[in-house]
Amino acid sequence: MARGALTGLKVLEYATMVSGPYCGKLFADLGADVIKVEPPEGDPARHFGPFPKSGPHPERSALFLYNNTSKRGITLDLDKAAGLAAFKRLLQWADVLIDNHPPQRLEKLGLGWEAIHEMNPRLIYTSITPYGRTGRRANVKGDEVTLIQAGGLGNILPARSMDIDRAPVKLGGYAVGYHGAIAAATATMGGVFGRIKTGRGQLIDVSLQEVVLMLVRPNVAGNRYNDTTWSRVPDRPPAMGRTETKDGYIIIGAAEDHHFRAFIELMGNPEWGASPAWNSNTYRARHGMEIAPMINEWAAQQTKDDIHHRGAKKGIPMGPVNSVEDLLRDGQYAFRGYFVEVEHPEVGKHKYAGWPHQMTASPPQVSRPAPMLGQHNHEVLCSVLGYTEEEFEHLSKGR
Amino acid sequence: MSRIPMPLEGIRVADFSWVWAGPFCGMLLAALGAEVIKIEGHKRTDMTRHGVMWRLYDPAPFAIPPNQGMSFNSVNMSKKSVTLDLAKHEARELARRLAAKSDVVLDNLRAGAMKRMGLDYESLRKLNPGIIVISVSSRGQEGPQKDYGGFASIHQAIGGVAYITGYPDDGPSASGGDADIMNAATAAFTVMAALYHREQTGEGQFIDYSQTEGVTSLMGELLLGYELNGEIPERMGNAHPWFAPHNVYRCWGVDRWVALEVHTDEEFVALCKVIGQPSLASDPRFATREARKRNEATLDKIIGQWTRQRDRDMVVNDFCKAGLAAAPSRNGRDLYADPHLRDRGAFVKVQHPELGELELVGLPWKMSESPIELKCAPMLGQDNDYVFGEILGLSRMEIDDLREREIIY
Repeated sequence: MARGALTGLKVLEYATMVSGPYCGKLFADLGADVIKVEPPEGDPARHFGPFPKSGPHPERSALFLYNNTSKRGITLDLDKAAGLAAFKRLLQWADVLIDNHPPQRLEKLGLGWEAIHEMNPRLIYTSITPYGRTGRRANVKGDEVTLIQAGGLGNILPARSMDIDRAPVKLGGYAVGYHGAIAAATATMGGVFGRIKTGRGQLIDVSLQEVVLMLVRPNVAGNRYNDTTWSRVPDRPPAMGRTETKDGYIIIGAAEDHHFRAFIELMGNPEWGASPAWNSNTYRARHGMEIAPMINEWAAQQTKDDIHHRGAKKGIPMGPVNSVEDLLRDGQYAFRGYFVEVEHPEVGKHKYAGWPHQMTASPPQVSRPAPMLGQHNHEVLCSVLGYTEEEFEHLSKGR
Repeated sequence: MSRIPMPLEGIRVADFSWVWAGPFCGMLLAALGAEVIKIEGHKRTDMTRHGVMWRLYDPAPFAIPPNQGMSFNSVNMSKKSVTLDLAKHEARELARRLAAKSDVVLDNLRAGAMKRMGLDYESLRKLNPGIIVISVSSRGQEGPQKDYGGFASIHQAIGGVAYITGYPDDGPSASGGDADIMNAATAAFTVMAALYHREQTGEGQFIDYSQTEGVTSLMGELLLGYELNGEIPERMGNAHPWFAPHNVYRCWGVDRWVALEVHTDEEFVALCKVIGQPSLASDPRFATREARKRNEATLDKIIGQWTRQRDRDMVVNDFCKAGLAAAPSRNGRDLYADPHLRDRGAFVKVQHPELGELELVGLPWKMSESPIELKCAPMLGQDNDYVFGEILGLSRMEIDDLREREIIY
């Protein structure tokens, strides 16, 4: 096994669902030693699925299985003295703490930032919260539907809605959580390098609302200073974008003039396409509606993969709207070995989504499947923290 | 008090990227203290400098002077800028020399483009063995689709998120640029991981980054779910598989909406009180999570009727005060006006030499020891003298000559 890029880095993850756990996974799959602390009842992600046909089961939730690869997992009841004591020792062990609970959770246990910083001045404490740890909305709850709207991205979704009276929607899945995880991981690496320079840890306060705001940062500035539109109504050339084919949808991005000429060619040079007027982006924007029916009619006769390959080879940015099934069959993903096989004792061997980053010297890898609830209690407490068997027994009873 | 060094101080990045996915990666590294030098040219200018995304169409062709496009200014902050005409051999040689003096080389060009200019990892590692090169391409450097181009919405389509975004009775939806920003952040994390590896082992490397895969990695549970049960996840609008209410509701006025999500019974009791119908909490149709999910359509109607007659911001206030997760659907202007974002300093002010003060989005985190101070994105070529003179050691005469012959151009 090649050495992972983050080998030697010790991460304590006290986090649930997606934002904290996927952040931990980014570290773990690159070789960091990530210990995940769950409450005795487990990370709620264990109850969210999707599940195998056999039904819900805390060791068979795909949300948990995917986001917790390569970690060791222990259960601690922080509301009991022995559990809290073990957690404090882990805080002293760790280089990084990832926490996505409300700050009050640890503060009430006497583990606010100042206390943690005093306990382990080198610790980087990455705190992920809906609206950040400061400001008037610091204590407001938020999750996928509210935060994507709070941060602005939701307001332009679905793109090119034909009905402005229909409510904006979220991105599919746990988009806010995943994006938050990426921002938190990036900031945390900043903390790691800061510590190499100064020897000191720090508090990193990640706001999920601001993570969503980050995703629309060009839109926000363009809207204010360059008079760009901010809207989900179809104000852009309707012939481009989402188009329905015989077997699903494709997104066509013939944005530049040369793309559009190639696109007319791809359509078999229809009569209307002969006019040089279509060579102008501005003209297309104003007259796109006139040719939309012709483009739709043509697309309805095509299959999405066929025009994707033919169009992309002509240099037109195009992409079929892939389902998960399409992705698992995609030739490019297969060529790159994107999907990785992971064997888990409860659900068996399956293909998992891999990583967009292939690294020649320190490739990411799944070093172990997601932990079963409390799987590494003994190993972590005895081998990492040096508990004696007796102390371990005591903790297990009182846990 | 002596200044605390920024985390990536001393790291130099040669940034050959353009549009958003590469540039914002460079900006994140710059924000953390790296010296990021963006390499463009008057013949090959980052298109976002001149234009903007989603402009209002004007009968006259719309061109913004090269330093004034916001789509450039918002994702290239804190960088330096040089101009080289990379079509010319001598310019490529200068680019190679700069790359050799850098720790990281970043691009998001089509697969193979850097190699044609002699700026690929294999060429550069001979000049600088510890170098880290990252290519943030559409589909990866090798494979049957390596030559296919794309931008954010194409990557969202291929990557799978468009398929699951939107209403079940309507088509899929890509959103656009956000996928670029996301891939940029993932790439920045990866670059720092590679720097950490180099710190530990002395070893550099090549990172072959695929933007379509970057999208797919954010729905890993759905891919694994399909592996486990064979069901293809479909669009669900704003719905959640387990919870209700979980939706965006219309408020008084035009295009005014409130998002609301209720997970627990306690939250539902609080909601019923706010909307003045406390008896709903014990109504068998809604008393439990399962019942609420079963009767979600009825529940949405009841809540929607209440919000429809009320001001959005008051509704949000009432919901939040009652301990609920609620938020307005904010547009660009709402974001700038949000007092909480103001409390947090989520926007930063920079002085733009041509436009004066600009207020742009900062970074989504605060660091207690390494406070980030973003600077204005660079004017095209503003750092030519410093980079070619001080870093590459060219004389005044040499630089003037290269300018004259439009190598530095």
